[in-house]
This record gives sequence, structure tokens and C-alpha cells, in this order.
Amino acid sequence: MILIALIAWPFVAGVAAWIAGRRRPHVARWVSVLAMGAGLLALAVVWIVKAPDFALSGHGPFVASVHVAWVPQLGISFFVAADGLSLVMVTLCYALGLLAVLSSWREVTTRVGFFHFMLLWTIAALVGVFTALDLFLFYFLFEMMLVPMFFLIALWGHERRVYAAVKFFLFTQIGGLLMLVAILALYVIHGRQTGVYTFDYLQLLGTHLSMATATWLMLGFFAAFAVKLPAVPLHTWLPDAHTQAPTAGSLVLAGLLIKIGAYGMIRFMVPLFPQAAFRAAPVFMGLAVLGILYGAVLAFAQRDLKRLVAYTSVSHMGFVLLAIFAWNTLALQGAVLEIVCHAFSTGALFAIVGLMQERLHTRDMDKMGGLWLTAPRMGAVALVFALASLGLPSLGNFVAEFLILIGSWRVSEPATVLAAFGLVAATIYSLWLIQRVFQGRETPAVTMPDLTLREGVMLAAMAAPLLWLGVYPQPLFNAVRPGLAALQQRAVRGAPPPSSAVLLPPPTTRAAPTGSDAGAVSMSGDAQ
Amino acid sequence: MSAVDWYLTLATGLFCIGAYGVLARRNVILIVMSLELMLNAVNIALVAFADFLPGAAGRGTFFALFIITLAAAEVTVGLAIVVANYRYSRSVQADEFSEMKG
Amino acid sequence: MTAAGVVTLLPFIALTLSAVVVMLAGTFHTSHRLTVGLTLGGLAWTLAMLPVTAARGGRQVTELLLLDDYTLFFIGLLVLTTAGVVLLSYGYLERRESHPHDYYTLLLLATLGGATLVASTHFASFFLGLEVLSVSLYTLIAYPRLHADFIEAGVKYLVLAAATAAFLLFGMALVYAELGTMSLNGFALLHVTGGGAADTSLLVGGFVLIIVGIGFKLGVVPFHMWTPDIYQGAPAPVTAFVATVSKGAMVALLLRYFRGVSLNPHDTVWIVFAAIAAASMIAGNLLALLQSNVKRLLAYSSIAHLGYILVAFLAVGRTAAVAVGFYLVAYFVTTLGAFGVVAELSGAERDADRIDDYRGLAARRPLLAATFALVLFSLAGIPLTVGFLGKFYVVNAGARSQLWWLLIVLVATSTIGLYYYTRIVVAMYVEQPQALPSAPRPARLGAIAGSRASDAVLIVVAGLVLFLGIYPAPLIRLLEHVVAGLP
Repeated sequence: MILIALIAWPFVAGVAAWIAGRRRPHVARWVSVLAMGAGLLALAVVWIVKAPDFALSGHGPFVASVHVAWVPQLGISFFVAADGLSLVMVTLCYALGLLAVLSSWREVTTRVGFFHFMLLWTIAALVGVFTALDLFLFYFLFEMMLVPMFFLIALWGHERRVYAAVKFFLFTQIGGLLMLVAILALYVIHGRQTGVYTFDYLQLLGTHLSMATATWLMLGFFAAFAVKLPAVPLHTWLPDAHTQAPTAGSLVLAGLLIKIGAYGMIRFMVPLFPQAAFRAAPVFMGLAVLGILYGAVLAFAQRDLKRLVAYTSVSHMGFVLLAIFAWNTLALQGAVLEIVCHAFSTGALFAIVGLMQERLHTRDMDKMGGLWLTAPRMGAVALVFALASLGLPSLGNFVAEFLILIGSWRVSEPATVLAAFGLVAATIYSLWLIQRVFQGRETPAVTMPDLTLREGVMLAAMAAPLLWLGVYPQPLFNAVRPGLAALQQRAVRGAPPPSSAVLLPPPTTRAAPTGSDAGAVSMSGDAQ
Repeated sequence: MSAVDWYLTLATGLFCIGAYGVLARRNVILIVMSLELMLNAVNIALVAFADFLPGAAGRGTFFALFIITLAAAEVTVGLAIVVANYRYSRSVQADEFSEMKG
Repeated sequence: MTAAGVVTLLPFIALTLSAVVVMLAGTFHTSHRLTVGLTLGGLAWTLAMLPVTAARGGRQVTELLLLDDYTLFFIGLLVLTTAGVVLLSYGYLERRESHPHDYYTLLLLATLGGATLVASTHFASFFLGLEVLSVSLYTLIAYPRLHADFIEAGVKYLVLAAATAAFLLFGMALVYAELGTMSLNGFALLHVTGGGAADTSLLVGGFVLIIVGIGFKLGVVPFHMWTPDIYQGAPAPVTAFVATVSKGAMVALLLRYFRGVSLNPHDTVWIVFAAIAAASMIAGNLLALLQSNVKRLLAYSSIAHLGYILVAFLAVGRTAAVAVGFYLVAYFVTTLGAFGVVAELSGAERDADRIDDYRGLAARRPLLAATFALVLFSLAGIPLTVGFLGKFYVVNAGARSQLWWLLIVLVATSTIGLYYYTRIVVAMYVEQPQALPSAPRPARLGAIAGSRASDAVLIVVAGLVLFLGIYPAPLIRLLEHVVAGLP
């Protein structure tokens, strides 16, 4: 039940915030903070209670699951389950949700209740996306989140917000619809083969597909996830959306929304179509390297501070894409770590840009310079996150990118070498950013108040996980390992097409907790 | 060519003339007349088929009666609207109907 | 006809009598409120008769009409939608300070025509239903003789509808010449004998001409030219009626008639339908992009939506029939909502049909704007709304029949659709308010009651959009039962 509560909670809180915010904007803010905080506390309890489960090898990957029939005529069920990977993502949702509320404390002054309603609904849909194991439910939430996100950008964004919002909406929608066709094709093929029409991911896993069919369907999924991730050349919505969104929107976009692409590939695309995915891996790894370098180069070319940060996201997500198609334990653990660290480091950079824009009313770097003198604390904090972004050892991003490079080295040496240049480039643009904004010639006209206590606490809270994961990432790895191992068992690089006898658990035994069978759902106490 | 085919040819010819009239005429009243022509072409075809088809049991004739009745209703309403429009704009030219575009 | 037949026909009798009663009552007592009450009462009576008929089982009444569960379901749908239109018309006409009882008579008669189409199993009842519907609509469209637009729209519709009806009749004559029968059973014969008989040129020509007639009523490309003009020109409630009842009845008929013909992807008829579907999706969505008039925009979008329905129609199997039914219900609900908002905002002089009229609506009338946004997202097929499940069902049916090319067209064009729906949402939520064409809130008593009635419709619509969007299982169960009787 905890999963349903975690999904439903932000929906409810969102409505409450909206109603409360109609009269008193401040109440809406507090409602949202409390909602997110309570969710985080609940998650902390879950982590502590369930932590032993992750270590048990015979426990199966899922620590909690709920399975309720929804539209039985079509084989649609409300099937959510969480393994370590999902739980990490859900925690990330709540944490960034909380930070997004805090960062918009002063920025959002109009229609405050409505803003928090939209924000919380986005979070709720995201939580659902990261736990859904029914492909229909996944798609449902995947699309549903677009509407609140669209409003977040279009209503509270900057100068060209409508353009950015519509572009974001359309790009995601067309990718999503192609995935819908692929999902339905898979559903129909599975139905024809077994007579069971279902959207249950665990049952669909065993579908036999010819190579050509699998490739087409895989491309359908890839279209949706590559837009989200974003992979070059489908990335063009990202700089606009990130730049124009309000700070909270940028946080959610960079920290969570684009992570759906990575999560979807790891959870759905590769396990569902392993052979097709691995055959296409060289192309996708090429795209990944292209994204790393292209994002880095374009980051140099920006004058708009926020756009610069947005392009670094493209670059960082290239690493994640590289790791996914390398598909070995090291690379995947690196990918998950990168997802988490990027959420905090880039999120923090967006928050800092937001704070600067609040104070300076510009994002143009040419109008900044020498700000360290007036705002030393902000400069120091920005430096920390810039260093994280460039991959300084002892911060989480370093571990992540290092693991990814080691992992991908085993698969493709040239791609790894080229990707490593991305690290060099990251060093240059990150330091350059600091140099141009905080160092350099002082602009006399500009004075900027330094961080307030609330802002300082907020940014410190974002730096803490980076430091922790940079020094001691093992708990995270322990948590995600069983889930990742189960997925890897599904999709083995170079293996012959899976024979269903081995990999497909018969539908009747699906609910029974049977040993280390990767398909088995472990129904823990939550399920009852 | 059998006799039915002659009737069919005649009906088709009349129908095409009517259709041409609907498309080419500008006067609304002439358009309504052309519509009548099309419907009557159908009637000729139906009656002819009903007579020549084995086992058709004259259903076509009944159907033609249906058409005559309903066509009358249609023309009545049509002319009423034309009159209403005439009151409004003092014109029965279809060209006047060009306010809406797109 | 037997006494049992009379009982079976009760819904039709109820509708007809209501029309007569409303007409007579109007001559003695010209209270708008009374007329509306009588009309709604008549519709409720009709609705109440449906279970009575259903209890007697599916029954063929003469050669012309078949009242099985399929028919009754769609009659129920048409009647409920008409009730919605009546409530919308109340407020709309109150604001124009005209109290027309014959307007409601015509609405009831048009519904009767739609019901006849739905029940039709013979060319005669097909034509009869079509004409009763069309002739009522000519008058309805030109009804409030206040503005040249309305009359212009009426004349256009008259000419085009009559011309296409003639095409339809000619097609029927050709099919009759080939098959020697005019009833649906003749079609079923065709199914049994297989494709051989279906390929003679006379028959194919006949079918194609019939498709012209049907295609016109559906407003699909290339017979769509009237749609934008009529949508723009007709009063908003009538537009809602044309968009829902008139098109929906025709879809129900199409499903019944052409399920009987063996449609497979090599038949000429199948290819014609596929081309129409693709062209409608493409042209409807592309042309909608260019519109700055909300009613015209909705017109082009409805062309596209009928294209989506045709995709489901071309798929085979029970799922496809359910998909058509589901999409139709979704389309009815959302279209009624969309035109309900337009009607509610329309003033005495003109309808609120410019995008400018909707600027900053969220600030002026937040609930109305929210409803419109919800309905538009439903048309665009965003989750949580019934439109999403409708589109999902259509794609599902298409995927089962492997209509990949049509599905790709559907996917690509509905993304375009999203763009223009978003434009209205942006206008309502992001842009600054503008002065409305009329006073924002009518002060007269009747007008206030009218607004209440429209609000009630909109609340029901919004509720249905969400409810069916989240929990569609009951509706699907009903539809599965209903289409089981189709060939």
C-alpha cells in the first residue's frame, strides 16, 4: 500500500495546495513543503525497514508491489512495484520536489496555489512512472505529466515561455505516441502467441519477436525515451524548455523528467528487446558520444547562463546513454549514480541561476563578472557544484562517470576515448562559467545580495548527497544491484534469443515468491 | 445493350446534368431545380430496375414514391430558406454567400 | 405491423409524440421555460421507453427497422446528447431574447431522424432517417434569422446535403440493380458469397456513391467542405448537434451496414475508406492549424476525429466495433463540452468564436476555462480524459488488424492536433484578458436560469470526461454487450 500512498499523496496535496492557495499563497507553499517532507520521511522509513531486503539474494528484486485489475477487458491493471532502482528514483522525486518548492518560494508570486498544484501533480505522475510495471499505466502517467509541466513552463516561465512549452509538449508527445504504437504492437503480438492480452510488463518480457519486428518496436520505445533523455539530434526542445521554465520547472525537468528516458531504457527498452537493442548499440553509443561532445561544445557558445547549464545536461545525459548500451554492471551502476548526482548538481546550478536572475534580472553572462566580491557565499556554492559537474574526485559525479567509462571501455574502446574528451570539455566550461560570472572584471553597476539562510540551507542540502555519494556510494549500489541484476539477467549481450522455458515465468507462478527467478514478484507485507 | 441499360444511361445522363447544374448555377432557385433533376433521374432508374429485375417485387417503385415525397419536403424547406435570405439580402445569387472563408 | 411491433417501437413513438406536443404547446402558450421543460420531458420519456423495448429482446419491425441492443444504446446516446443540446440552447436563446418553440420541435425531429438511421436495416429507412434529420437541420441552422451567417450556412448546407443525398440515392439504385434487394440482408448475402459478387463495376460504383452520401454526413475529406462553414455559421448549440447527433447516427449506421460486407484490404471499398480516413486525418489537422476562429478550428478537428473513427472502423473484429463505439461516446461528450463553452460565452450579437474572445478566460471565468481546457485536452488525447482512452482504443484496434500505415498517420497528425488545441489553452491561461463581445454575466432572470442550465451540462460533461477517462470498464462492458449483435 505504501506505493499507492506515495503516488496518491502528491495528487491529494496538490489539490489541497490549490484550494488553500486561493486565499493565502503562503499556505500553499507550506502545504507543499509539508507534503514533500512527509513523503521523504515515509521513504526514509521504507529505506530503513527494507534495507535488509536488498541484501538478500533470494528475495527477488521487488520489495513492494500492488496489482489491481483496472480495465480487465483490455488486460490493463494497476500494477506498481518498486525495486531498488525504482525506490531510488522515487526518493529523488520527493527530494527534488521539496527543493523545487523551496526554490520557488520567492520566485513565484502569481497564482501560487495553482503553481503548487501543477508542481505536485507532476511529482505524483513521476512517482507513478518510476514504479509502474504495467505498460499502459506507464504510458498513461508518462503522458499525463506533460500537462502540468506544460503549464509550469507556459505560465511561470520567462520571455519565450509559450514557445518553449509548446515545443516541449509536441516533441514529447510524438515520441510518446510512437511508443504507444510499439506498446500496442507488443501487446497484440503477445496476445496472439499466448492468447493472453495483457500490458503486464513481466509477462510481456517473454514475447518471441523476429529480429525485424523487435527492431521496429525497439525504435518506437527509443523515440520516446531518446526525446526525453535527450539524445542528439532529438534534444532541441531541451535548451528552450530548461531556459524558459521557472527554477522549479528547470529543477524538475533536469532532475527528474529527462531521467525517465534513462529509466525507461534500463527498465523497459533493453529488457524487452535485448537482441535488437544490442545490435543497434553501436549506433546508439555513437549518438551518446555525439551528445557528450556536442552538448559540451554548445555549452561554450552560450551567453545565456541558464542555456549553458541546459547544454551541459545534454552532455551528461550522453554519458548515461553510453552506459545503458554498454549494459554491464559497472556501467549501469555508474548510470544510476550519474542520474542521482546530475539531478542534484545540475539542479543546484539551475537554482543558483534562478537566484541570480531574481537579483540581477538577467541571465546574460556578459553583464556579469566579479560577483564574488558582492556575493562570496553564492560564488563558493556555485564553485562546488561546478566542480561536481566537471567531475572532481570526492564528488558523486566523478565516481559515476568513472564507472561509466570503465564499463563502456569493455564494450567499445573508441567510444570511451571520445567520451573521455567530454570530461575535459566539462572541466573547461565549468571553470569558464565560474570565471566569467564570479571572477573577472567587476561590473560596477551590478550589486547582488548574497544568499539568505533559506537559500543556503537549500543548496547545502543539495551538496550533501553529492559529497556522500562521492565518498561512499556503496549503499546506493547495494540498493540498486538486485534490480539491475534481474534486468541484466533478462538481457544478456551476445546471448542467443531467450528461450521462454528459462526466462519466462509461467503466468500462474508470477505472483509467487520463487527464489532468484528474475520474473517473480516478491509480495511483501505491503501488497496485502 | 439491353433495355435496362438504356434506362440506366438516360438516368445517368439526367443525373449528371443535374449535378452540373448544382455546381455551375449561381441562382439558388436554379440550383434547387437541378437538385430536383438529380432526384428524378434516380426515380427513373429505380422504376426501370423494379420493372426489369426478376424477383425484385417492385420494391424500387415504392422507394421512388418515398423519394418523391421527401424531395417535396426538402424543396419546400429549401425555398423557405431562400425566401428568408431574400428578405435579408434582396438577392438569390449564390455568389453572395462568400462571407465565410478558410 | 403487430401489437408487439408497436411496443417495440415505443421509443420512436415517444419521440414523435413529444415533437407534436411541443409544437402544439407552443401555439397555445409561448413560455420558453415550458417548451424546454416539455422537450426534456419528452426526451426523458423516450429514454424511459428504451428498457421497455430492450426487455422484449432484439426485434425486427417490418423490413425497415431493427431494434436490438445496439440500436437502443445509440438511441440512448443520441437522446442524452440532445438533452444536453436543449439545455445549452435554453441559455443561448434566452440571451438572444427569442422564445422559439419550433426550434425545439425541430431538435426533436432531427433526433428522430438520427434514431431512424441507427435502427435502419433497409435503404428506405436509411433515406427516410437521413432526410428527416437533414431537413430539420436546414431549418435549425438557419434558425435565428438574426445574422446573415446563419442563413448563408443554412443555404450552403441545404444545397450540399440535397446533392449528396441524390448521390446516395443513385448509389442505392445501382446496388439495387445488382443485388435485387434493398435490405441489409442482401448485404449479408454478399458476405456469404464472398468477394466475387462484390467486384462488379456496377456494385462498386453503387457503393462508392453511397459512400459519398455517408461521407458527406460524416464530414470527412473530400466531402468536408461544408463542415467549417456550417460550424462557423450555425448557432453554437446547433453546431454541437450537427457535430454529435448527426455524425454519430451516421457512424452507427455505417458500422451496421458495412460490418455485413466482407471488407478486406484488397476491396475497392476498403481502399476508398482507408484513403478517406488518411486524408481526413491529414487535411483536418493541417487545416485546423490555419484557423483563428474557434468554431472553424473545431470543425477541422472534427474532420480529423472522424478520420480516427474510420481507422477503427476499418479494423476487424469485436475490438474494432467497441473502439468505434467508445471513441464515439468520447467524441460526443467532449464535443458537447466544447460547444457548450462556446455557447455559454456567446453574446446576443455574435458567437464567441474568435480566439481573442478566449484570452485571459482563466482569470475571468476560471471554472469555465478549466472545463474548456479539460475538453480540449480530451480532444487532443491526453491521459486522465476520455479522449485518451478513445484514441488508445482506436490504436489498439488498428494494431490488432495491423493497419500500421494508418496508425503512423494517426500518430503524426494527432501531434499536430495537440498544437492547435494548446493554442486555445495558451490563450485562456497565458495571454491577457480582452473585453468580451457582450456583457460577461447576463442580468435577466431567464438568462441566469439559462446559464445555470449550461453550467449543469458542462459540469456533467467535465465529470464524464474524467470518470470515463479513469474508469472506463463499465462503458466497455456495455459496449461489448451491445456490439455482440452486429454481424
